[in-house]
Amino acid sequence: MKPLIRYLNTIWQITRKDIQVEWRGRQGVPVMLVFALLVVFLFNFALQLSPELQAGLASGLLWVSLAFASTLGLNRSVSLERENNAMDGLLLAPVDRSAIFFGKSISNFAFTCLVAIILLPVFSLFYQQNMLSLPLIGIILLGVAAYTSLGTLLAALSIQTRTRDVLLPVLLYPLALPILIAAVESSRGVLSGQAFADLQSWVYLLVACVVLFNAAGLMFFETILEE
Amino acid sequence: MSKKPTLLLLFDVLSLILIPAALILILFFTPVERVMGPVQKVFYFHVSAAWAGMLGFIFAGVAGAGYLITRRQTWDWLSLSAIEVGLVFGLIAILSGMIWAQPIWNTWWVWDPRLTTTAIMELIYLAYFILRSGLDTPEARARLGAVYAIVSVGTVPLTFFSIRLFRTIHPVVITTGGEGGAFNMSPRMLLAFFISLAVFTLLLADLVWHRYRLAELQTQNKQEA
Repeated sequence: MKPLIRYLNTIWQITRKDIQVEWRGRQGVPVMLVFALLVVFLFNFALQLSPELQAGLASGLLWVSLAFASTLGLNRSVSLERENNAMDGLLLAPVDRSAIFFGKSISNFAFTCLVAIILLPVFSLFYQQNMLSLPLIGIILLGVAAYTSLGTLLAALSIQTRTRDVLLPVLLYPLALPILIAAVESSRGVLSGQAFADLQSWVYLLVACVVLFNAAGLMFFETILEE
Repeated sequence: MSKKPTLLLLFDVLSLILIPAALILILFFTPVERVMGPVQKVFYFHVSAAWAGMLGFIFAGVAGAGYLITRRQTWDWLSLSAIEVGLVFGLIAILSGMIWAQPIWNTWWVWDPRLTTTAIMELIYLAYFILRSGLDTPEARARLGAVYAIVSVGTVPLTFFSIRLFRTIHPVVITTGGEGGAFNMSPRMLLAFFISLAVFTLLLADLVWHRYRLAELQTQNKQEA
C-alpha cells in the first residue's frame, strides 16, 4: 500500500500548495465570486426577468454563473504555473504526472465550491427560495467535481496554445454541456420538490461524468504535458 | 509525389455513380409519405449525412488513439481528415433538417434538444481546429489534437444520452420498443434508406481518403522545399 499512500500524499501536497497560494494572495476566489454575481445581475437585466420567471430560472442562473466563474479559476490555476516557469518545477518532480492533475483538480474544485457556498444564500435571498438544502448541495458537489476535472484537463491543453487562456471557454463549454444539463435539471427538480426517483437518471449522469472526466485526466494528463 | 491509389479512384467513380443513383431511387422509387408529402424525402439524405458525420467523428477518436499509441503522423492526418469531413456532413444534416422543418414544424429552427445537441457537436469539432491553429509544431498539433478528439468522442454520447431524458419533438424512426427494435417505414422506403446510408458511408471514406492524401502531399511538399 505504500506507493498508493505516496501518490495520495503527492496529490495532497499539490492541492495544499494551491490553497496556500490562494490564501496568501487571495486573488482567485474573490474575483470568481464577484464575477459570478455580475453574471447574475447581467442576466437579470438582459432577460428582463419577471418575478414568476425568476423562480424557475434560479437553478439555471446558478449553474451558468458557477460555470463562468469557475473558468476564471481554472485559467488562473494553470497560468500561475506558467508565469514563473513553476510548471517546469512541477514537471521535474519525480512524481506521477496524473497526481498533478488530481491535485490541481481538487484545488479548483475547492475554490469553485467555496464560490458556490457563498452564492447559495445570496440566491436564496434574491430569488425568494430556500436554496440551502442538502440534496442541492450534493448535486452542486457532484456537478462542480465533474466540471472542474474536465476543466483542469482542458486548461492544461489550452495553455499550450498561442492563444493561451482565451481558448479555454471555447473548448470547455461545449464539452461540459452534459454536466450542465444534468446539473441544471437535477437542481431544478430538487428546488421544486421532486422525489429522488424522478431525478435519479440526472444524478447518475453526473456521477458518470465525474468518473469519465477523472479517468480522462488520469490517462491523458501525462500526454498533454510532455514536451 | 505518390501516385493516386487505384482503390481511391474506384471509390471516386463509385461515389459519382451511386449518389445520383440513390437520388433517382429516392425521387422516383420510394412512395410519397401520406402525411408529410414529398418533403419527407429529405429524410434519406438527412439521416445518412448525420450518420456519416457521426461515423467520421468516432473514426477521428479511434485514429487519435492510434496516434497516441504509435506516434505516427499518418494517424493524425486520418484523425484530422475525419473531423474535417465529419464537420461538413454534420452541417449538411443540420441544413437538410432545417429544409424539412420549415414546412413540417413551420419554423427553420426550434430549440429542441436533438437540434441543439447536434449544433453543439459541430461547435465541439470547430473548436478542434481553433485548438490546432494555436499550436506551433506538427507534433503538438497531433498530440493535443488526439487527446481532444478522444475526449470529445467520449462526451458526445453523454450529450445524446442527456437529451434522451428530455422530451423531444424530433421524429424517432428507429424505435427500441418491441422485440429488438423496429423501423416505422414501408419496405421500399427501407431499401432506399439503407442504400443512402451505404452510399454516404462510401462517400465519407472517399472524402476522408482524399483529405488524408492532401495532408500527406502537403507534408512531402514542405520537406522537398
